[in-house]
Amino acid sequence: MDFAWSDQQRELLDAVGRFASQQLNYNVIENDRDGVFNHDAWKKCGGFGIQGLPVPTEYGGLGLDPLTTVAALERLGYACKDNGLLFSINAHLWTAVTPLVYNGSEAQKKKYLPGLCNGALIGGNAMSEPNSGSDAFSLTTTAIKKGSRYILNGSKIFVTNGPVADLLVVFATVDKTRGPDGISAFLVEKNSPGMNVARKLEKMGVRTSPMAEVFFENCEVPEENLLGKEGGGAFLFTRSMTWERGCILASAVGSMQRLLETCIRYANERKQGSQSIGKFQLVASKIVDMKLRVQSSRHMLYHYAWLSGHRKSVYLESAMTKLHISDSWVKCCEDAIQIHGGYGYMTEYEVERELRDAIASKLYSGTSEIQRNIVASMLGL
Amino acid sequence: MAESLILIEHDRQQVKRSSLHAITLAQQLGGEYALLVLGDGLGGMSASLVSYGACAVVVADDPLLAESLADRYATVIAEAARQHNAKNILGTSSTFSKDVLPRAAALLDAPMVSDVVAIEEIDGSISYRRPINAGSMFAMIKVDGDRRVLTVRATAFEPPAANAAPCPIKRFEFDAASLPNCMRFISREERRSDRPDLTEARVVVSGGRPLKDKETFERLVGGLADMLGGAIGATRAAVDAGMAPNDYQIGQTGKVVAPELYIALGISGAIQHLAGIKDSRIIVAINKDPDAPIFQIATYGLVGDLHQIVPQLIESIRRG
Amino acid sequence: MKILVPFKSVPDPNDATVAGAAVSTPKSVINPFDEIAIEEALRIRERGEATEIVGATIGAPAVDEQIRAALAMGVDRAIRIDDSRALDPYAVARILRAVVEIEAPHLVIMGKQAVDDDSNQVGQMLAGLLSWPQATFVSKIEFLDNKAHARCTRETDAGLEVVEVYLPAIITTDLRLNEPRYVSLPGLMKARRKQIEILTCDQLGVTVRPLTTVLSVARPPKRGAGTRVESVEELITKLKQEAKVL
Repeated sequence: MDFAWSDQQRELLDAVGRFASQQLNYNVIENDRDGVFNHDAWKKCGGFGIQGLPVPTEYGGLGLDPLTTVAALERLGYACKDNGLLFSINAHLWTAVTPLVYNGSEAQKKKYLPGLCNGALIGGNAMSEPNSGSDAFSLTTTAIKKGSRYILNGSKIFVTNGPVADLLVVFATVDKTRGPDGISAFLVEKNSPGMNVARKLEKMGVRTSPMAEVFFENCEVPEENLLGKEGGGAFLFTRSMTWERGCILASAVGSMQRLLETCIRYANERKQGSQSIGKFQLVASKIVDMKLRVQSSRHMLYHYAWLSGHRKSVYLESAMTKLHISDSWVKCCEDAIQIHGGYGYMTEYEVERELRDAIASKLYSGTSEIQRNIVASMLGL
Repeated sequence: MAESLILIEHDRQQVKRSSLHAITLAQQLGGEYALLVLGDGLGGMSASLVSYGACAVVVADDPLLAESLADRYATVIAEAARQHNAKNILGTSSTFSKDVLPRAAALLDAPMVSDVVAIEEIDGSISYRRPINAGSMFAMIKVDGDRRVLTVRATAFEPPAANAAPCPIKRFEFDAASLPNCMRFISREERRSDRPDLTEARVVVSGGRPLKDKETFERLVGGLADMLGGAIGATRAAVDAGMAPNDYQIGQTGKVVAPELYIALGISGAIQHLAGIKDSRIIVAINKDPDAPIFQIATYGLVGDLHQIVPQLIESIRRG
Repeated sequence: MKILVPFKSVPDPNDATVAGAAVSTPKSVINPFDEIAIEEALRIRERGEATEIVGATIGAPAVDEQIRAALAMGVDRAIRIDDSRALDPYAVARILRAVVEIEAPHLVIMGKQAVDDDSNQVGQMLAGLLSWPQATFVSKIEFLDNKAHARCTRETDAGLEVVEVYLPAIITTDLRLNEPRYVSLPGLMKARRKQIEILTCDQLGVTVRPLTTVLSVARPPKRGAGTRVESVEELITKLKQEAKVL
């Protein structure tokens, strides 16, 4: 088993690290406080190539394999402190771009992917509704065909990138009586008639990632914007969700690494009672546990990505990866605050924000409970 | 004939005093030395150079040399070096000498060592000490060949005494018509200031990015400098932000100063800036950040908000 | 117009936590001033005033990483003169002269100094060897008369100066000429298909005879640690009585 990166991969990862640390880490405290999305940083990431990492080159992407993709996202998470920006990028990549790559018609791919890859277009998806979160397929937004259009009616909640998205993948049912087999996916452009992106939602963390409720009132969507087949929405969702689970927390592994290094530095520099606090076993022990979590998360991530790249089934591994990384991330953040003592609670030190950002990871892309259900069922329980 | 030929710099009105410091290196190297001045209408300036112990003041005076265009100047300097059979062609490090002397060195097929701070005899030959890596290290350089070009860091050599018996002033004859003509001077933008020259001042007050804008920079940095009769310097960051003009920049790629007193306001102490101030006798640092690297080399460090402290300082000094 | 951009691989000036510390394998980057030169060449091309940008550097195979970074920024192709010896500025200038004679560029633009050596000589020496006009420490470039001249603003000790040089010419860059773009991933991918030509001094017909040798390198003595003062009054008292400088 060769755990080494190739020269080309190393060069690419170094370029990501240098770009992120030099270009993306400004105004993070203020933007987090005010809930401001850094559009400028988004565009820079697009120009740099982040939004197109796994997209085939003929559509404007870099065509990277899953392992290199997640390694790049990990490095991005390490070097970029704006977890909200990264969350928006990930939502864009896994809920809009990937479904389009795997299910889009040639015309749809040519129309939207280049802009989605270079930062010009922001994507997202609209799945959850006020009454259907974990029970995703019980959604009630309808899509009734009328001539050459679908008319959408319903409301969606927790739409990441909603306030700024140019394109949303909206899940609606063409026939409630068919249950999951009625669900279809639609590419809905912003400002579509009847589409109302409502109030921005205030969140505990990842506050620089904008989120909104979106209402569809006789919203007209041209039939050529059906993504995949009518009734193929559930399958499309499940497949792209497998990608999402595995990849969405790649940058979190990088964030954890950065947090670990911050804690080590602090534990060595901070002295109490004439010795550095890192010499106290209770502090050292926490840092050791952080290290174990980072390492195990990293290996699960790489293993998942390797399997994916080799076209092996990853339904179990993606759920395990998401579950483990999110649990690890939240625990690392809690420990980091504890190690920093009072300073860990202060906004200025940028440690408390990490915890607020991390907690969401146990909720999105399927709650930790859902992930456990998946693993349990895969274990034959 | 002269062992050393020293290029003297002027601003078309008077000699730049720092350029005289190269004479001290010539004295250390031994042998006769001649001073070389280029320009147009150099009568007064040449006369002011006769007491530095040179064997001659060599003057290349011609309207074609009114501006220091490198192609013409390097040609004349190389020709003068050849005619005088000079082994060492010296100058003091400045944008002027950096522009023309390397080109002259190439014309003379000679190596060049920049920013010499000291010489030492090692194994029977002279070696030259110079800063590298933004002055964080110093290299000892040996030079081979018949002839060499050297520039000195002005702050590392004392100014020469002006008490020798006057030497002759010789007009340097050259074929003006055959001078290169592929460069043209268009204009310059220089502020004449009542404040002392940055590289010669006894006191320098310098400001960094935290000074916010041009007005605040002038009020606080300028105000304190004026109270102390000093010159004003700036970090690269302050110049980049438009708070100060480029000729105030101190550091690895700007000016090197070594005043009696250097006051650093809101300057963190990046290596590139420290490169320009390390030989100052007393360094005072005022900065909000107690961990700023500048405090590691400051003689006196005061942690606090410069926007509060500097007005107090100005006032206290005024009251005496 | 063809532009030649010579550049140097230097230890990353932002890397060492202690200035000049001997790091066992220091990370290398393109000399920051040369990066500015590359950026300027790219902007000149983007304005439609240049057609080809060629990079050139001297060094062992390890510097290929910096060559790829230059290609990733947008340089079209690059030449590496394979030589791992310590070369002084005059030797570098003589090698570059040979490259200029082969490539026949209309403009050579390069950093004013390398941040490891800080000599600030190569551009000027190259200009002298070629008998080309030079504009040093440039912070602004404008082409006039259908690119027959370049009008350059130079940063000097006294302020700013504007000169005009006929092309072909050598221009050395100062800090404020531009802010270089970062290497993008698409650029990195494209760079892998770009050509790097390896040449030797022999092939160029240049014999390098080292005229300057570095005998030793040492850290300067550290300034003695200073003291903290707590107030303006204390500072003034110390400056007057202790330092005797006020």
